[in-house]
Amino acid sequence: MSRTLEQWTRRPTLPDTHYLDTRVYTEPSIFEEEIERIFHRLWLPVCHESELPKPYDFRTSGVAGNKPLVIVRGADDKIRTFLNVCPHRGNTIVRSPAGSLLKAEPSGNPRNMTCMFHGWQFDATGKCVEIPREKAGYQERLCKSDVGLREIRTEVAHGGFIWVNLDDHCGPLSDFIAGAFDFMTTELDSEPLDIFHYQKSVIRTNYKLWHETSREFYHDYLHYHNRATGMTQKGYFDRKYSVFPNGHAATGLTTITYDAYEGNKDRGLTFPGMPKNGWKQLNIFPSCTYSLRASCLRVSVMTPISESETLIEIRGLGLKRDTPAEREERIADHDTIWGPFGRNLHEDLLAVKNQTVAMRRGSGSKYLLMAREENETIHDEVGLRSYFAEWSRRMNRRAADPMRSMDE
Amino acid sequence: MKESVTELIYDGCMAMNAQDWQAFLALCEPEGFRYRITNYSPEILRTQCWMDRDFKGLKSIIELLPRHNTDHSPLTRHATVYKVRQDAQTGEVRAHTQLAIYRTELDGSNSHFDSGKTALWAIGRYEDRIRVGDGGARLLERNVVLDTRQIDIGSHLPL
Repeated sequence: MSRTLEQWTRRPTLPDTHYLDTRVYTEPSIFEEEIERIFHRLWLPVCHESELPKPYDFRTSGVAGNKPLVIVRGADDKIRTFLNVCPHRGNTIVRSPAGSLLKAEPSGNPRNMTCMFHGWQFDATGKCVEIPREKAGYQERLCKSDVGLREIRTEVAHGGFIWVNLDDHCGPLSDFIAGAFDFMTTELDSEPLDIFHYQKSVIRTNYKLWHETSREFYHDYLHYHNRATGMTQKGYFDRKYSVFPNGHAATGLTTITYDAYEGNKDRGLTFPGMPKNGWKQLNIFPSCTYSLRASCLRVSVMTPISESETLIEIRGLGLKRDTPAEREERIADHDTIWGPFGRNLHEDLLAVKNQTVAMRRGSGSKYLLMAREENETIHDEVGLRSYFAEWSRRMNRRAADPMRSMDE
Repeated sequence: MKESVTELIYDGCMAMNAQDWQAFLALCEPEGFRYRITNYSPEILRTQCWMDRDFKGLKSIIELLPRHNTDHSPLTRHATVYKVRQDAQTGEVRAHTQLAIYRTELDGSNSHFDSGKTALWAIGRYEDRIRVGDGGARLLERNVVLDTRQIDIGSHLPL
């Protein structure tokens, strides 16, 4: 039976942990608060160590809240992250997506980061090493040691990813991860990994909606690839969903019949400790997913731009020791599913883009359900509930009633 | 020779624009055919491959399209053949074709507001290896080299 407006807007007869108000995706004030209370306080992955393999290599990136970053490998091999903003007149210091500081800029010395505007230079540790006509302009009032770059807390971990935290007083990354990676440690950390795929797109969607495509597998029905290679396999629905502290959640090992999709091959390659054709996945709160499908690791990172725009970055990785033939095989495996011309990625992006259209402010959309309970197996929506439990804890708001704080 | 090569490339674009995939496949040589979509990433400082299929693999992708949930907004390829060169020894031809691809919104976004709008979706080039024989020209290999690296929600379709 269809419903009247009064019936449509009535709260579901479910615990308030099992549904949410769509304003969590659409309200600009909630978005601003998420940036401050979540993204400015938690550890976020920004790139992989193989993107800056040698001393003086750099990579520019950014995190939510319009924070431009430059990540640099120093002469001491240590990776440091800085706010990519010149302390003199606020210009961008390093402009290229990636490169080496050993290459001289038009105005500046090799090994330094040079702001092209007035020629201020900073070394790979963030120290200011050159102010043109320093004494003439500043006399004794200001010197180079007063104007170093803003350094951001940085750690390298979990398959060689570079994680940053904007909060100088945060605890170590390991406290935040709280053991969530333990079931993937052999695969990720037995030997060095190497990036082979990078793509990004700014998609008109709320970042949580994209992350949720990895948090619930009930949308297997969206993907013909999953229906053919996964859902028809014995034991698929018994796959367990595990919830960790701090909002992280994982789906345990399952085996996929890749060649059940016509034209695809069995996955011949794998990662250390990973059985042939295996698949494990881990979602890190608030906006990162590691998905290890037999021969390739996909890491997806979301950077919120506004309540309805998200930068989605996807990296594909193999083992550093791969032969050219092995690497080619991993790339083909990766792109079959996840590349921009893969079978699943396009469908997931299409779905979240349409969700964003349907739920835009004023559309009449009201409550979404996350109420499936199947003993914490694959189509149970515990992954969504655990996400919003953590979201509520950090935002001090219930997702089911987000416009009031829990103190009210 | 040049005329049959340019005709092949333009016929391919017209077939794909019309979503007549069988007509496009008919222009490709099944034996040893390779279709790739590649680009250079200044982010990771290397050339990367986003699709790599032989004839059977490409045919399979096309035949399984009805089972997938796809953005049905049409892609329109606008191509200009810049250069055609024949190898004197093998007789094989290499052609360089500049490419612009436009997308006309159908149901990929809000069809009520957006359908019918056209926007540039990607630019790049075809790097083709072609055999010209008595039966006409046939594609032996195509590398779609994209300059555009952000392609929105991607696509299920060959370009």
